[in-house]
Amino acid sequence: MAVSARRRAFGILLRALAALAFAFSFSSAALASGALNVGVQLEPPNLDPTSGAAAAIDEIVYANLFEGLTRIEEDGSVAPLLAESWAVSDDGRVYDFKLREGVRFHDGTAFDAEDVVFTLNRAKALDSTNAQRPIFEMIERVEAAGLYAVRVTLKEPLGAFPTYLGWGDAVIVAPESAATNASNPVGTGPFKFQRWRKGASATLARNDDYWGARPALDRINFIFIPDPTAAFAALMAGDVDGFPNYPAAENLGLIERDDRFRIVTGTGEGEMILAINNAKPPFNDIRVRRALNHAIDKRAVIDAGLFGYGEPIGSHFPPHHPAYEDLTGRYPYDPLKARSLLAKAGYPNGFRTTLNLPPPAYARRGGEVIAAQLEAVGVKVEIRNIEWAQWLDQVFTNKNYDLTIVSHTEPLDIDIYARDDYYFQYRSDAFDEVIAELRGESDPARRDALLRQAQKIIAKDAVNVFIASGPKIAVWAKDVTGVWANAPVQANDFTKADVIGRASAALDDHPPRMAPLWPALVVIAAAFAIVAVFAKASPAYLASRALSMALTLIAASLVIFILIEVAPGDPASFMMGLNADPAAVAALRAELGLDKSLIARYASWIGGVLAGDFGVSYTYRTPVSELMAERLWVSLPLALMAFAISTAIGIPAGLAAASRRDGPGGKAIIGAAQAGVAIPNFWLAILLVMVFAVTLRWFSAGGFPGWDAGLFPALKALFLPAIALAVPQAAILTQIMRSATIETLREDYIRTARAKGLTRRETLIRHALRNALIPVLTILGLQFAFLLAGGVIIENVFYLPGLGRMVFQAIAQRDLIVVESVVMVLVFAVVSIAFLIDLAYAIVDPRLHGGRR
Amino acid sequence: MTALAASLRSDKGLAAGAGLVAFFIVMALVSVLWTPHGVAAIDVDARLAAPSFKHWLGTNHLGRDVLSMIMVGARTSIAVAFFAVGMGLLVGVPVGLLAAGTRGIIEDAVMRMSDVIFAFPAIILAILLAAVCGPGAINAVIAIGVFNIPVFARLTRGAALPIWTRAYVMSARTAGKNNFRISLEHVLPNILPVLIVQATVQFSLAVLAEAALSYVGLGAQPPAPSWGRMLAESQTMVSFAPWLAIFPGLAIFLFVFGLNLLGDGLRRRFDPHRIAGLI
Repeated sequence: MAVSARRRAFGILLRALAALAFAFSFSSAALASGALNVGVQLEPPNLDPTSGAAAAIDEIVYANLFEGLTRIEEDGSVAPLLAESWAVSDDGRVYDFKLREGVRFHDGTAFDAEDVVFTLNRAKALDSTNAQRPIFEMIERVEAAGLYAVRVTLKEPLGAFPTYLGWGDAVIVAPESAATNASNPVGTGPFKFQRWRKGASATLARNDDYWGARPALDRINFIFIPDPTAAFAALMAGDVDGFPNYPAAENLGLIERDDRFRIVTGTGEGEMILAINNAKPPFNDIRVRRALNHAIDKRAVIDAGLFGYGEPIGSHFPPHHPAYEDLTGRYPYDPLKARSLLAKAGYPNGFRTTLNLPPPAYARRGGEVIAAQLEAVGVKVEIRNIEWAQWLDQVFTNKNYDLTIVSHTEPLDIDIYARDDYYFQYRSDAFDEVIAELRGESDPARRDALLRQAQKIIAKDAVNVFIASGPKIAVWAKDVTGVWANAPVQANDFTKADVIGRASAALDDHPPRMAPLWPALVVIAAAFAIVAVFAKASPAYLASRALSMALTLIAASLVIFILIEVAPGDPASFMMGLNADPAAVAALRAELGLDKSLIARYASWIGGVLAGDFGVSYTYRTPVSELMAERLWVSLPLALMAFAISTAIGIPAGLAAASRRDGPGGKAIIGAAQAGVAIPNFWLAILLVMVFAVTLRWFSAGGFPGWDAGLFPALKALFLPAIALAVPQAAILTQIMRSATIETLREDYIRTARAKGLTRRETLIRHALRNALIPVLTILGLQFAFLLAGGVIIENVFYLPGLGRMVFQAIAQRDLIVVESVVMVLVFAVVSIAFLIDLAYAIVDPRLHGGRR
Repeated sequence: MTALAASLRSDKGLAAGAGLVAFFIVMALVSVLWTPHGVAAIDVDARLAAPSFKHWLGTNHLGRDVLSMIMVGARTSIAVAFFAVGMGLLVGVPVGLLAAGTRGIIEDAVMRMSDVIFAFPAIILAILLAAVCGPGAINAVIAIGVFNIPVFARLTRGAALPIWTRAYVMSARTAGKNNFRISLEHVLPNILPVLIVQATVQFSLAVLAEAALSYVGLGAQPPAPSWGRMLAESQTMVSFAPWLAIFPGLAIFLFVFGLNLLGDGLRRRFDPHRIAGLI
């Protein structure tokens, strides 16, 4: 009989789906002592500090994994590292380095002069993508003067050369591994690369063959937490041991009162400025720029934007530096003076302008205060919140802006005011001369004087409004020791860090295991086949549905491609960071194939997709299909779990509401469903985190330990997100189920069934449920697609490394190819589920056989 | 008017829904003329104040009055939803009428094009559009409105098809009216109740979508307050300033709840069988 065959088909389908969801090899995580879990705000685009400027790279690998000839110490001084010592010629142009012997790279190859020559030549080469290439270009030649001796000749004297060699951009790489450092970095440091879970964490493990002092930590897990709320929640939930740069200053009061943590405040190198487009009217008038300086109350901006954690500055220089010149009194807060300056400049009634704000909280919050203060002197400000990619494109590269707020975090970067074509569009011969003199000067007293002079010039010219120098605020668990308080370079040196007497759950030692995409495809194809066979659908019907499905997919792919192509922002300049060299950006564009025509790119993308190859991610430089597969193992189980919860609540609740439709129970269910539909799921998610994670601490506030950590921890991490996702969906399902059941209960055969003596309950289950499921099927199918994609916001609240979140990050990072591919996969899921539903109709209701609905 | 009053009296759900929706609309209108405090006024000294007599719903991290922001936020929410649904109606209904009136290729094209749009998960499409066009209230309207077009086109077509088989359409045709006039004079008035009910449903979905978009930073831009962004900004402070997360969320919830009650009530008020069969 067909019924049992159909039931079997569903059984097979369910088992196949279960197999898909749980086809993992579970291994209990090895509990390692001495693992440090570090929260960092930004995930690096890759792990090679010599080919990208992103600070997030250095924050992980500098000093820990890669080492340079010299290194920058916590107090900012320069110390020898891979170079034991060096000597400078009298004219300051020739440096002789004596290298350390017996050093090995993590892959076992020996370190010698050849590696140094290779590294420096690679950095200065024409096709170099090194973000500080202009500095390396000052090298005339590099030559090996023995196995462990290197001579570097400069084009002109460069006093700070040993300092530059201590930067992350100058770490020594080996010719054998340089090409793959982006995804598998190989250095000489005390920690070696272990694994990088995209969107979640990067892990370094101790290098037992290290040439120097053995570090105390076994392992460092850098966990990427971009959202300030999630950062707080992760800290509270014990998911991380601390943050070297804590992103949510507003919580510090609370953390201070919590005896599990300590706050470590150090000097930061960041100068928060209101940057002004000096070339654009009315800002080309110095009186207008000075008026802006008088109009802003820096204290209020610091209180509201930085929650009081900051020190006012009067120029582009941090107060802790010995050469700091206090210029904070140059433009006191004086709205009347500002108004009169504006009037003298010809704007007695002010003017309209725009203020571009990148994502960090200091910019967004400080920006609102600044806008209000400027309004007070008559300047009408339109605020534009933009992503980093747009900021780099519109503000930094194309200089198409009026005002913006940003924090410049590179140490000793006052020379950016001498760069022609920098986004401030500031020109001053006097300033350029000071910087040129500074470059060749190595006498400390003279350098000091020049630096002070430089600060005065840009303050006098009111180039920007110099607001505050933010401290570096770190939050650490009480038992973490040996971490840096100050950040003279953008780095987190953990070589002397330790966690005392604690075992923390860590990532296992297995090599990264690829979660392949093909089992998913096989299961989908099998599901199609099974359903088609049991639906006894006519081939003509199947063919026509398949054709329309294919046409829909082609049209959708065109829509996606065109939409994304017109989006602003250049991926290459985003990847290279703030102070990157234009030639390096162009080299990267060519490497990524971004210089080809639109049609060529569409063809290569869609051709690849058909062959199962989604291309290579711009930011991560790994195949998109790998990235997606990794994310799918989070999103798919999450969607399945939410789906199960929603169905388990919705179907019985809907049935119950229908059978007691006029009773108080039925009314209560309907009321609850009405309420459930109206709850925004992200609000529910916030409330759940606060109640169950922060207050009760039953669940972790977010994050995903990975399936390797065991089935239970993984499912537990997905539970709150699944609830937040499921509740509104369950409410919808309840409503649909109820009305469908009520419709069915009106049918004649129900009356017949009751008449032949079946109880209400039996009638409900045997006859009504089955028929009511027909309209419910459509909703179930749509729900699953929604849950898969709609997790995008929930995944962000709980910082789960899923597909939805990947789309968001990819949009922000201009990783176009990832956005295209993920959206395409989601569209494919929606379309094929709709197709399956069509066929499933034929199974549940044979009356619909073969024909169009 | 008396019929409306009567149905409000007899249907508590409809009355509650209408009441809640009216409450938020009045709140939005009042906010044009008056709010307890200046909505853009920043008072750094009074920041993060708990609800009190002076600030009924407390203040945020910049010292802005939460109640005032919620009142003005209602304006943003209603305006975005109104124009997004309006966009769906203005484009979708004529297209649906055209499809039902002409059949053939146009109908196929309409259905296939809506298939393409429906192939995108709604939130992903909205985020994509908002990310491409840039954030802002107007672009949020477009991002949400695009999805409403096929909703109304399909609904209109589905509801209009049976009307075309009615006797009065036949007689109108014999009277010499062309398809355009028949659509306008006979079909549209007959499907109006269905459209009104669906518009209410889409309105509540648009309010939720606007909240979600502004929560992820793609909706109305500051200093214009919006409920979703208020929630996003409150997140880091929710453990010590819970009022910041509770009240905007409650506003979204109650407004959407009211709209849903209103939609269901309207559906009951119009012939329930006919409508349920068409949607």
